Amino acid sequence: MIHSYLMVSVILFCIGMLGVISRRNVFTVFMSIELMLNAANLAFVAFSRLHESMDGHVLALMVMAVAAAEAALALAVVILLHKHKGKLDTNVFSLLKG
Amino acid sequence: MNNDFLLLMPMLLVGIGGIGLMIASTYESITHERMAISGMGLFGVAFLFQLGNTVAHPTIPYEQVFNGMLVVSDFTRASGMIILGCGLATCMSAYTYFKQNPFCTSEFYSLIAFSACGMLLLTMAQELISVFIALEIMSLAIYILVGYNRQSQTATEAVLKYLMLGAFAGAFFTMGAALIYGGAGSTKFTEISASISANGYAGNAALIGGSFLVIVAFLFKVAAFPFHAWVTDVYEGASTPITGFMATALKTAVFAVFANFLVLNNGLHEGWINGLFYISILTMFVGNLVAIGQESLKRMLAASGIVHSGYLLIALVAINTEQFTGGVIAYYLAAYSVGTLGIFAALSYLGGEDEKRMNFADFKGLAKVRPYSAAAITIFLLSMAGIPPTAGFMGKFYIITSAISAGQIALAVFGIISSILSMWYYLRLIVNMYFHDAVDTFETDTCHKMAPVCTMVLALCVFAIGLYPIII
Repeated sequence: MIHSYLMVSVILFCIGMLGVISRRNVFTVFMSIELMLNAANLAFVAFSRLHESMDGHVLALMVMAVAAAEAALALAVVILLHKHKGKLDTNVFSLLKG
Repeated sequence: MNNDFLLLMPMLLVGIGGIGLMIASTYESITHERMAISGMGLFGVAFLFQLGNTVAHPTIPYEQVFNGMLVVSDFTRASGMIILGCGLATCMSAYTYFKQNPFCTSEFYSLIAFSACGMLLLTMAQELISVFIALEIMSLAIYILVGYNRQSQTATEAVLKYLMLGAFAGAFFTMGAALIYGGAGSTKFTEISASISANGYAGNAALIGGSFLVIVAFLFKVAAFPFHAWVTDVYEGASTPITGFMATALKTAVFAVFANFLVLNNGLHEGWINGLFYISILTMFVGNLVAIGQESLKRMLAASGIVHSGYLLIALVAINTEQFTGGVIAYYLAAYSVGTLGIFAALSYLGGEDEKRMNFADFKGLAKVRPYSAAAITIFLLSMAGIPPTAGFMGKFYIITSAISAGQIALAVFGIISSILSMWYYLRLIVNMYFHDAVDTFETDTCHKMAPVCTMVLALCVFAIGLYPIII
């Protein structure tokens, strides 16, 4: 049983990772990061059931709170970017080339 | 019980002080100069508290309340002192910097206090989710500080890049924590260690995968080899005092927690020695390659930060998990922080309006016009290159000897080669300052002496820290 949950979690994590790497829209990138965090939450809750303790549930709630704070900041940054360029495509942000 | 409160006092002071500064910044009458002075006072008092806390052996403050999630030791005390000192120096150099770059609002200093609070928590945390939360408290404040100049497009791009990659690393960290929780049944370091001792490390796939993801997140935060590309861009985009703060305090906090994580059990450390061996060599040499090609001073310093991360990784490979004191790592971090912060404090006032002087060529002939500033910068550069009798030399000496006594002769040799290579770009700036005629007049806003004073104090600190092990 735990294996199926873990499999879903790992697949979600990989989808999120692919999204961050391949997508060019800032919104989609941030959504993909949220997906990765939620994959971790699913793993936490599934392991919590496996170990029969409540720790994992609490940790998942903590991660959600932090993810919300991060999303708020990310949206503020998106607004700032839109003011500068009028576009949300990461290709147009090319002043810094490392 | 009372002693526990004193141990956590610096963190509480900085956290509550940050909230106080945030509230104070809503009043019109409180200018950002006053806020800078209050910020300095806050960091100064917290530093003195941290200095006064003597920890003979690792103690767990409020074990019942926090369930043993925080552990205070001599190592966390030393890293806390470095972080608070960096905060103080950053407030001082920001005070002068914002005289010439007028985009400051008074919330700036409360954000520095918040990030310092997160960093202090990070050094003490001994539980994976506490580490994650502390990491995010620190990072969220730093993201805002990086993008503080909202008119500047480079700053905005820097914050986008940093936020995207930082959140990506944060997601790796949570997934790693989840897998370790699955493999060991707990996220507390002591219980993970007990589980590894009981069931072994090598056969447990969830533990191996989880610790891999956690280490990747840490390597990203300290800008080690495969994850180093962001650092030059972000450092260039951020304003000078913040770049200094990120390069020193953030690195100190992350290396402290990295060391705490690696020493939690011998099995875990053994499992990663080989990987960290190659990563530290590659980090040093790739950092040197990046640094040699740079024209901008900020980018050069960012790249030299990568090289210094490489030296610190040598120290992490060489740590002895049985008797871990962290002395070598804390000493190197102190030496590196003083040198880097000093250069950034000097750049804060020498940079001029809108950071117009930022390239190697802009500093030609500085020694003829401003001999004291040039001398201070030379001291910092020599310390970073590792020339005796500066702090940087002693730091490198300890790291190389610790590597040799741990049997890692190859690492010690590569460390020495890399430090010889790094002379190239440090000496280049010294040559520019001393052996050229001045083309610029280097006029600055001379009525504010805060950053020059900070630079001179840090230059004295280079020698003080360098002589400290000899006196003791």
